[in-house]
Amino acid sequence: MLQTRPELGAPQPYHFPEPTRLRVGGGTVVAIDVPGQQYAAVRLVQPSGGITEPLDRMGVAALTSEALEDGVGGDSSLAPALERHGAEWVSRVTWDSFVTGVDAPVNRITDATKLFAEAVRTPALRPEDVERRRDQLLERFWLEASMASTLATRAIGGQLFKGRYATPLSGGPVRLRDVTPETVADFHAHAVAAVAGTLVVVGDLSGVDLEELGRTVFAGAATVPAPVPSAPESAPGDLPRIVVLDRPGSVQSALILAHRAPSRSEIDLPRADGMSDVLGGMFTSRLNMELRERLGYTYGVGCRFDLRRDSGVFLVSTQVEAPTTAHSITATLGEIEKLQADGVTEAELSAVRESNTVGLPVTYSTSRSLAGALVEMVVHDLPEDHVDRLRAGFERVTADDLAAAAREYLTPREAVVIVAGDAEQLVPSLTEVGHGPVVVRDPETLWT
Amino acid sequence: MTTNGAAGHVEQFTLDNGLRLVTAPAATGQVAAVNLWYGVGSRHEVPGRTGFAHLFEHLMFQGSGTVRKGEHFDAVERLGGDINASTSTDRTNYFETVPEHALDLALWLEADRLATLREGMTQEVLDNQRDVVKNERRQRYDNVPYGTALERILRLGYPEGHPYHHPTIGSMADLDAADLDYVLSFHERHYGPDNLVLTVVSGLDPQDVRARVERYFGAIPARPTAAEAPDATLDGPIGGPVRDTVVENVPAPAVFLGYRVPAYGERDFDVLHLASAVLGQGQGSRLYRRLVVERGLAADDGGAAADLLPFRYTPSLMLVNMIAREGVSGDDLEAAMVEEISALAEGVTDEELERARAVLERDHLQSLSHPSGLADTIGSCTQLFGDPELAYTWPQRWAGITTDDVVAGAKRLLTPENLLIVRFDPEASGASDGAAAAS
Repeated sequence: MLQTRPELGAPQPYHFPEPTRLRVGGGTVVAIDVPGQQYAAVRLVQPSGGITEPLDRMGVAALTSEALEDGVGGDSSLAPALERHGAEWVSRVTWDSFVTGVDAPVNRITDATKLFAEAVRTPALRPEDVERRRDQLLERFWLEASMASTLATRAIGGQLFKGRYATPLSGGPVRLRDVTPETVADFHAHAVAAVAGTLVVVGDLSGVDLEELGRTVFAGAATVPAPVPSAPESAPGDLPRIVVLDRPGSVQSALILAHRAPSRSEIDLPRADGMSDVLGGMFTSRLNMELRERLGYTYGVGCRFDLRRDSGVFLVSTQVEAPTTAHSITATLGEIEKLQADGVTEAELSAVRESNTVGLPVTYSTSRSLAGALVEMVVHDLPEDHVDRLRAGFERVTADDLAAAAREYLTPREAVVIVAGDAEQLVPSLTEVGHGPVVVRDPETLWT
Repeated sequence: MTTNGAAGHVEQFTLDNGLRLVTAPAATGQVAAVNLWYGVGSRHEVPGRTGFAHLFEHLMFQGSGTVRKGEHFDAVERLGGDINASTSTDRTNYFETVPEHALDLALWLEADRLATLREGMTQEVLDNQRDVVKNERRQRYDNVPYGTALERILRLGYPEGHPYHHPTIGSMADLDAADLDYVLSFHERHYGPDNLVLTVVSGLDPQDVRARVERYFGAIPARPTAAEAPDATLDGPIGGPVRDTVVENVPAPAVFLGYRVPAYGERDFDVLHLASAVLGQGQGSRLYRRLVVERGLAADDGGAAADLLPFRYTPSLMLVNMIAREGVSGDDLEAAMVEEISALAEGVTDEELERARAVLERDHLQSLSHPSGLADTIGSCTQLFGDPELAYTWPQRWAGITTDDVVAGAKRLLTPENLLIVRFDPEASGASDGAAAAS
């Protein structure tokens, strides 16, 4: 006989593992021991993200990050050396951080970390390698932007901000050209080699000497505080508006609705993320149920906050069948309006609460995800019990909180809708959407 | 070789209805990964009915006799769980990772849609998901540069009428022709506990897991008859070189080379897997060193130019793909790639082979390092090879392979007679519509 749906018992209480914290030389090691987890994640977090770049050196952080892969011997020598240890180089530049590291079997962590540390502190940075990497990055920019969704995403910064954020993190297809091997060497010396940073280590650490790892990575580097954030200015132009990035012949349109949002430290995360989950953060969110599951316009739609130290962005993104573009925008705006007017249901509230609390053991079931949480804590200067505080915040959140968050944090009348699609086909219907003027841009002129 | 320390802790049970259950321990606590490998994929499709296995995967989330549309996703998402599914030529995979206390719910949801899906299926649901899948096809194939490469590769690599001739996504025309009766019969023919490997990775006692699985799945009857897959036998080389040249709106020339190699699970598959790593996996690989770093002919892909497309029930394909740098013609890039591939037959060093082995071992170990990946690898090894322990011991298969083996494999298989080429070239500036020519 088939069973009836089981009633769930209470979940076991979850607490984020308490990290070990060690001061070693000018830096700090923050580690989580996960017995049995034989694949370790090692990350060095430094504060020199893209936002710290002067406007005449845009892209230098991203290019330096790439050039570190040429290692101490130059000529792309780091990755093959790590590959022999079964290890993998990790690097990620964000607006607020410069993160490097390795993923490695714990029994190879000492050797892999030594190679990684040498590459970060004393890379060759040969001019010919840096130029090769730069030219490759420049070409890759357009290869990647030939994907409609990538093109639309990269256009957000220029539509919302003045200053550094207006150009993609990589320096875009133009400004990166001005970054020379000397600029990279200078950036590396001041912002990477000389800065101790914080070392994050996660895995089965039973045989691992954390202090030794710290000495290897920090050597004589100094403590350097993160820069003090200041709010960026907004881009000029009518709000709201629709910007079409012309992509003739597209059978789908990549669609993004984006507006500015508060910074990471200003926003109330449980309220903001909870509200965003209801709108478009889950498969069963309102936008997906409408655009995908009812209308069949798309393979999927989502929304999220992109939160930085000095500002934030809220964005909805999807790809829709070309003839449904205008109606997809109208339907998206309609869902936002409805959420602001009527708030959330009890079922939605409980989904938000439960998914952000009882699911934590799933979220943090890998070295990488645990390391990611520690990196976020370092970058945004969050307390060690940040995950547990967040969980408590979600447990307390009410339907009124989420409704208020929708009204406070969603500002569709200040949003730019970016459409990467066939302008000739789309403009007449987009004009009727009533979301401000419709501007058509040739993608190749966006970052000149 | 490093393992995650769990080898020998895998337990396998077979229920009376044929369901194969495998349990394994998770490295972190309070979590249960549930993974189902049904032995049905696009290889079971016949001409005119392509894309069905995958469309069906979508329909499995659309409600059943007991669970309403959207409820399956909702139930798992509100547990903060990971949930998804995928379809390939050889299998359809459903998986969810949930907090441990919710294991029963995940098992019940899976058992329910296996037993009662047909009761919830409607024309409206079918029409909606057909539109969703068509948009998935546009998003992955039709609206992205080089998006049709795989479709073209399979067309050249497997003859007309062969079950691997078409891609899993299917054709727009066949998707349009999907009807409700066929959908219902598809479930009846392919979805039964006797065609299922269920893997649970958790901190729970294996006997406890077995009892729970028995409770939810035990009463579901096996299929009256097991569905037969179309004949996928194929011998010999491709009969190449065969070529498909595409001129369309792409940002740069791209070269896709394919070679027919033995089926997944054969020793020569492992040999060629190592050959592909020597050639094009990692920044120490030949194609990366020679064509990206030294000669500047190919765009920097981080060292991901070669890999095997693993097919269990027919010969697999080794695929090599690179995109040309500015000012480099597709012809020049193609010639350089072929030259590097041919050079494998002239010799491989011990150091190259060791690096290749380390790269493959690393990727394998990484896939086992999270509960969902471990469950998936075990499901694969059990469904395809009948041996869950292979998930842990797979790297040993590479241990005994020598440089001579790799050279001999390259000599035998990486030949012009066994080569397919799909080439994309940008339209000349001022050109109008794209043109495609196949030969």
